[in-house]
Amino acid sequence: MGKSPISNNIRKLRFYHNEMTQEELAAKVGVTRQTIIAIEKEKYSPSLELAFRIAFVFDSPLEEVFSYDPKGDPGSSK
Amino acid sequence: MSFKQKNIAVTFVNFSLILVFFLFRVFQMVQNDSFTSENVFRLWGIIIALAVFVTVAATILTQIVSAVIEAIRTGNEEPEIDSLEDERDRLIDLRGTQVTYLVSSIGAFIAMLTFVLGQPPLVMFTLLIFFGVLAQIIGDVSRLILYRGGF
Repeated sequence: MGKSPISNNIRKLRFYHNEMTQEELAAKVGVTRQTIIAIEKEKYSPSLELAFRIAFVFDSPLEEVFSYDPKGDPGSSK
Repeated sequence: MSFKQKNIAVTFVNFSLILVFFLFRVFQMVQNDSFTSENVFRLWGIIIALAVFVTVAATILTQIVSAVIEAIRTGNEEPEIDSLEDERDRLIDLRGTQVTYLVSSIGAFIAMLTFVLGQPPLVMFTLLIFFGVLAQIIGDVSRLILYRGGF
């Protein structure tokens, strides 16, 4: 279980949005708080739909919330 | 720990107890020379009935205990139990089921092999139910590991 090649700024974005709690974000995107914790710790890479929903809550483009590092991805061919 | 995790942990403990009971009864039958088809199939029935009953009862009990703990913790008389199942829960469940199927397939193969190698059919049936319960336990363990470690 290596580190995910997808990193995110969710913790920072929550802070900038009135210190939104993990519980509040989870309720807004329709998942459990445990899933938000796992995404923040980069232990779980969300589906494209959930990633878009999170970005929508923060009113930010997807690449501002999530970033992809091909160096950390053994499946990357580049 | 979410409601789903608690439920899996409770099911894991219950199936472990069922496996211990099953092994205890089989050893008892072997020691008493009562390893007959009637006793083995009765044990099959008991194990399947126990598994169904325990799974249903465990889910209800986990819900009640979680609600009581949440009510004490928050002081809210009508607490909200986080029983929502999201994409991560479904993915973990799917991987756990994959492990369960893999173990039960290997178990079925081993059970058949004993029959091919000349063991009586009762050994095959005993091994089938043994690997069925074991597969459930290993599936639950893999689910708990995935919840803890991520993937």
